[in-house]
Amino acid sequence: MRDSWQRRIDRAGHLAERDPAARPLLVVYSRLLSLQRDSYEMFRRRADRLTGSLDRDLSAVRPCVAPMLTVVAEIGPPRLADEAGRILDGAAAALDAMLLAGWRATSGQQFFSKIALQPYAEYLAAIDVRPLDRDGPRGKYVCPFCGGAPQLSILDGARDPDGGGRQLLCGTCSTVWPFRRVLCAQCGEEDEHRLGYYHSPAFDHLRVDACDTCRHYLKTVDLTRLGIAVPVVDEVAGAPLDLWALEHDYQKIELNLVGL
Amino acid sequence: MSISRRAFLQSSLAGGAALTAFGFDVAPLYAQAKTLKISRTSETRSTCPYCSVSCGVIIHTLGDKAKNAVPQVVHVEGDPDHPINRGTLCPKGASLEQEISNPRRLVTPQVRRPGSDHWEDIAWDQALDEISRRVKTTRDATFIEKDPRGRTVNRCEGIAWNGGCTDTNEFNYLVVKTMRSLGVCYLENQARV
Repeated sequence: MRDSWQRRIDRAGHLAERDPAARPLLVVYSRLLSLQRDSYEMFRRRADRLTGSLDRDLSAVRPCVAPMLTVVAEIGPPRLADEAGRILDGAAAALDAMLLAGWRATSGQQFFSKIALQPYAEYLAAIDVRPLDRDGPRGKYVCPFCGGAPQLSILDGARDPDGGGRQLLCGTCSTVWPFRRVLCAQCGEEDEHRLGYYHSPAFDHLRVDACDTCRHYLKTVDLTRLGIAVPVVDEVAGAPLDLWALEHDYQKIELNLVGL
Repeated sequence: MSISRRAFLQSSLAGGAALTAFGFDVAPLYAQAKTLKISRTSETRSTCPYCSVSCGVIIHTLGDKAKNAVPQVVHVEGDPDHPINRGTLCPKGASLEQEISNPRRLVTPQVRRPGSDHWEDIAWDQALDEISRRVKTTRDATFIEKDPRGRTVNRCEGIAWNGGCTDTNEFNYLVVKTMRSLGVCYLENQARV
């Protein structure tokens, strides 16, 4: 279940209007989504040239990165803006090395490789071209398509009206795959006494699924409570829950695009 | 910009700033986080007690595991990962939460006396004494050792037992043993799990 880029952008705009506290973050996030949408469209036009090996696809990916860097240098927070400027002024080889390092890691902790490679990976998934050179561990709890770590989980009532089955959404290629309800997506803990979710009425359709064994968590977007939610966007808008989890010594399995 | 996200966030928060791992300012959101009322709920997989289909359920129990907090069941839903029902439940199963947490649930024995128009609460000891006495009286009065053709039957036709659908397997085992030892033949219940 991949929401269209436009649906994500529209949802970010809608939530930004409704929530003054989250507005600055969501406005920037919306711009980042627009950049990713443009990048995705560029990949769509070059579909015949994509092989799934970033080494060979760099010529297609590189042109998408420069516009991203330019915009981030303008609207990004100071630290990212400085970094964007340095990359723009630096050698192409350094940019390539950064992208390749980000591609080979299963968990994205580097902003620029994350923002640049998500549309690439998502388009590969859309055309079913498997990534060839991601060499991370292929564990039980990673994306079956690209091996990426899960960004969030979704309780979906649309696909299974009675069930509310759980799915994980890949933080790299946005592939969605079914996952057991009472199971830690990081360590596989299934002891119900070690698992739990935290919920606030302020974010009725969001919850923090936490594991007391590995102290990791991910947020769950409950579409059975709010069917119009767009998981990746609503997850960002629920940033206060991330901050709460952090203060309670939980660590997120996979950072989102704003670094929470 | 590759950083240790956890260390970065924690140092940011501890230092009074509120920046994400990528440097986004989340100070207003951090203030909002401080006001959130957060509750912990656990999900326990179990089996619906009502019929022989044995549907899987997930029981949501509210409680932060604090010693002085009483856990409370707040929701019961079908288990989407269960091979039998795959998340679905019949109306009875879907109402399980009300079976567990119901203000009208009886917590003491009750009796309606002959000629009375209402039920009254009685103590457990009194209930056990009265039931024992009536079982003894009824059994003594109606026990049949031999049938009209002289065959030994040792049965009690004056007592019948009807069990409810949420009686557990173990409870029903004891019921059968007890009723058979009394000679009760009219023995039925609806529990099959």
